Amino acid sequence: MSSDAHPYRFYGIIWVVLLAVTLLMIAIEGASLPAALAVLLLLFGSALKATLIIFYYMHLKTEHQALIVTVLVGLFVTSILMFVLPAYDGFHILASAIGS
Amino acid sequence: MSQTAIAQADWGGGASPFGVAWQKMMMWFFIVTDALLFAGLLVSYGVVRIATGSWPIQSEVFSLTYIATMTFVLISSSLTMACAVKAAELGRPVRAAQFVWATILGGFGFLGMQAYEWAHFIGEGGGLLSNPWGSPVFSQFFFVITGFHGFHVLTGVTVLLIVAIRALRGNYSAAGVENAGLYWHFVDLVWVFVFALFYLV
Repeated sequence: MSSDAHPYRFYGIIWVVLLAVTLLMIAIEGASLPAALAVLLLLFGSALKATLIIFYYMHLKTEHQALIVTVLVGLFVTSILMFVLPAYDGFHILASAIGS
Repeated sequence: MSQTAIAQADWGGGASPFGVAWQKMMMWFFIVTDALLFAGLLVSYGVVRIATGSWPIQSEVFSLTYIATMTFVLISSSLTMACAVKAAELGRPVRAAQFVWATILGGFGFLGMQAYEWAHFIGEGGGLLSNPWGSPVFSQFFFVITGFHGFHVLTGVTVLLIVAIRALRGNYSAAGVENAGLYWHFVDLVWVFVFALFYLV
């Protein structure tokens, strides 16, 4: 992952990518994109940055398979389920408010 | 299946099913549960925002350049933390301690910037019960989410100060630096989503 001569170079490269994705996300916010597309792109950018941090800065990539699966399932699947289940209620409340 | 085979199997359990020291395993478990706490906050923010319908335009309330600078400071502190962990792994305690001090500096920088942002937000009329930009829930989520994250940054800086001071006294442990680093990167990880979902979306 990093050579003996430049042990910190790899982390520097990740840092540059993280900053570049951050700048891209700010540009997406400023561009006049359809709201749904902008949200999707911003979520994708966040997921990319999170993956880089978790796998390379937190070294999850080199951990035991059991730990990798536990962390990923714990974090992402539960978070997604947590949003998907009540989001329907949010849209329902919005629709009722608009209808009344 | 023999006991040896169980201990060696990925899913068989054994003495160390996750293949890491208990301190690191517990740090990972803590991070996952704490991340779910933040996920709960951000999900409730998302659902309330969908249900509310109208929401203030963030770029009219916050300076995105300022928030981007805060993000730059935090990501940079993550870089110095990753370097500290690497230096510790390579058996270079002095270099590791230097990187930890640089990370602490970044942490204080972020906290100072956040304190200024809060002061500015309150000065503009943002309060828990009302704000000049529309839905009062907007400022409530602002205070709760960024406040909760800021408290985590403060905790991280405290942990790093303990690690750095212990290193000065010769009480150095590479595993200690690694576990503190895991927590610090987690703080950065949470900010990635707070920045995107609260300030950009």
